[in-house]
Amino acid sequence: MSTRYGMVIDLDRCTGCGACMIACAAENNVPSLPQATARTGLTPMLVRRVSNGMEGQARREVFVPILCMHCEHETPCVSVCPQQAVELDKGTGIVMQMPQRCLGCRYCMTACPYHARYFNWWDPAWPKGMEKSLNPGVAVRMRGVVEKCNLCHARLHSAEEKAAAAGKREIDPADYVPACVEACPTAAIQFGNLADKDDPVSRAANSSDAFRFLERIGTEPKVYYKSGETWVKALKESVSGVEVKRG
Amino acid sequence: MKITRRDLLVWSAGATAGLVFTPVPYKLLGDLSIWTQNFPWIPQPAHGPVDVKESSCTLCPNGCGMRVRMAAGWPVGVAGARTNPVSRGALCPLGFAAHQLNWHPLRLRTVRHRGQASSWEEARTAFSKACAEGPIVIIDGYPGRAASQHFENFVQKQHGVYRVVLGAESRALTPYEKWSGVPAAALGYDLENARTIVSFGAPLLDGWSTPGRFTRLWAERAAGMAEPQLRLIQIEPSLSRTAARAWQWLAIRSGGQAAFAAGIARVMLEEHLVRASGPMPALTLAESAQQSGISPDAIRDLARMIVAQSPAVAIADDDDPAIAALNVVLGAVGTSGGIVQRTKRAKSYLSAEPVIPSARAVLIDSTVPWDFVPQTDAEVFRFGAWEGGPNKADWLLPAPGFMEELTDIPTAPTSAVETYAVAPRLVKAPPEVQSAVQFLGQADPDLMPVDKIIHTRCENLFRARTGTLCAQQTTPVATIPSVEKLEEQLRNGAVWMGEPQHPGGVRCKLSDWPQATRSECPPCDSLASWRAPVLPPLASKLYQESSLREESDRRNA
Repeated sequence: MSTRYGMVIDLDRCTGCGACMIACAAENNVPSLPQATARTGLTPMLVRRVSNGMEGQARREVFVPILCMHCEHETPCVSVCPQQAVELDKGTGIVMQMPQRCLGCRYCMTACPYHARYFNWWDPAWPKGMEKSLNPGVAVRMRGVVEKCNLCHARLHSAEEKAAAAGKREIDPADYVPACVEACPTAAIQFGNLADKDDPVSRAANSSDAFRFLERIGTEPKVYYKSGETWVKALKESVSGVEVKRG
Repeated sequence: MKITRRDLLVWSAGATAGLVFTPVPYKLLGDLSIWTQNFPWIPQPAHGPVDVKESSCTLCPNGCGMRVRMAAGWPVGVAGARTNPVSRGALCPLGFAAHQLNWHPLRLRTVRHRGQASSWEEARTAFSKACAEGPIVIIDGYPGRAASQHFENFVQKQHGVYRVVLGAESRALTPYEKWSGVPAAALGYDLENARTIVSFGAPLLDGWSTPGRFTRLWAERAAGMAEPQLRLIQIEPSLSRTAARAWQWLAIRSGGQAAFAAGIARVMLEEHLVRASGPMPALTLAESAQQSGISPDAIRDLARMIVAQSPAVAIADDDDPAIAALNVVLGAVGTSGGIVQRTKRAKSYLSAEPVIPSARAVLIDSTVPWDFVPQTDAEVFRFGAWEGGPNKADWLLPAPGFMEELTDIPTAPTSAVETYAVAPRLVKAPPEVQSAVQFLGQADPDLMPVDKIIHTRCENLFRARTGTLCAQQTTPVATIPSVEKLEEQLRNGAVWMGEPQHPGGVRCKLSDWPQATRSECPPCDSLASWRAPVLPPLASKLYQESSLREESDRRNA
């Protein structure tokens, strides 16, 4: 049975602290450039604040972490990339972005219905000396390429190496946990194998409260959201549930 | 055989066409793309042996447990340590990028005297001269550490004064100290046994106290549940992130918290919902409703619900005595699920004036929030790892940054149980920085060094034979064979946790309902809560690029 890595994000548990965003950026060596704005910055994981549109005491808000949805079916970014820089890994279900192949045409950004892809506008740079704090497991990307969430693929590599060293073919699930999942203080983000019916993530994805954004377009995203509130579930018909600020 | 020009052209064309079917052009293309990713001006991560160290965060007094991934001797990643019994694997967002702080552009690296570059030698001379002329004051931000004891030892020998700047969470406990005599540093909230928490603007889900403690509790007992085991009621004028996730949010009028607390207390006492254990507020229910902007019916309903869902406790965002008095009326002081005494050994930090008038020098430790400005004419020696903006210190002294010095972590301010941890030095500090402890140690070499004080504290824990050591496994201290073994484990990230105390040790004597004015906090004259002097660059970036923080917060970022 092939693995299908996916996530279930419980929006009722998300407090919008932003720990997932910061842990993701630190893990993936995202530079903190002062010239970057909400339109031009790199945020492979972006938490958006969404309201029910009411005012006063009736107002309700929810925090929606948006990342690459790792679409399974007719993955839009894969189908438009002229460079084969995006690939759906048949073994894991992870939609991989390979910056070395990317020529920066940004077709994939246009094609992505979730606006979860980001263009690298500038050479990566850090304050003097801070390059020593970069994660050695992840290569620094040049300007002119598109970036997105790879489900912390470097951590999957490490887990595979560890399993191989122990003479095992399968990794220990505890060895492969993306940075955002590890950082979430309320365990709102669950990660696991959607193809395994006994996996808690698979069970959560099949619960009545689970939904996916823009499910009607048929791309079969592997990032599910969950909420018990009706107005939150209604967000699924919108683009990533929220008004898009970028672009 | 004669080779013609035509042969040469045919051969060239064939070779070119054939080349397409060989790996050469693709390999060259691949190499080219890799080469263009590795221009010499592109920073590259340090490579070397990777190791994971367990420690505790020192950004604030709460000391969350953390795992630090080190590569080539440098920290390259931070994650929460699940072995910490209080933070339980969670960190605040800033903690995840804290390892980058040491290279922050605003890192202090030179001694400055009134804005001009100076030297450590000159600073030492000026400090020694001031010490010789009169008493000195040392102001600390995280009391109870080995460094704090070092400061106290120094001022004792110099006939000086030791003062503490308390954070907002600690200040919220100071009214109980005044009414019960139990030091605020010995008090904590027994959140684990509460069924209702009424938060008066305290950012419980936004970094309050040890962030993992309440967020994990809320996630397990409240998040997404229609009838939660733990009800969080947020009383706040605006829809903060805590209010957004609370079971109930009451949009109160700004400044109406004390009146609202008085209204709830009045309903409880008038309707005999609680045993009369506190004074009747002077405000009528109508006045409370008018001042708070919440209807009398809503106040009544809330008071009844709080009592029905007890144990309940009210948490203030600062030292508002009206909210503390509400807890007294509610019977939440000295009871399970309320405010409990965790130790009998704590000191009181509520004492005299912030700075004595005759002081010749004021030394401010780097743990004191940057925007604290002492009201004094004495010469001010301000230690800091990062420059947080304008400040009135005469001397600006660069201190060690994150993970650059050995320190110990006493119990977090609001914890219901005693803990003790040690944060070892994981990164070598730059030669141009010095801690306040080193600075004082040079002024008086006879002072006991921090290392030795930590060892003595470990000996005390070992001799007491109580509590457990929380690491990968939980070990009772009584079974640890030697003090060296105990100290080694603590220095490797283990956390000592004391035995839970009986909650009945605090009794408040309150005859009149307190005035709505906030009590005086001796050394602190400007701060609302602990604030970082600078944010990790990644945090600044992400807060600017997301809609997570309110405008005022973004300006701070």
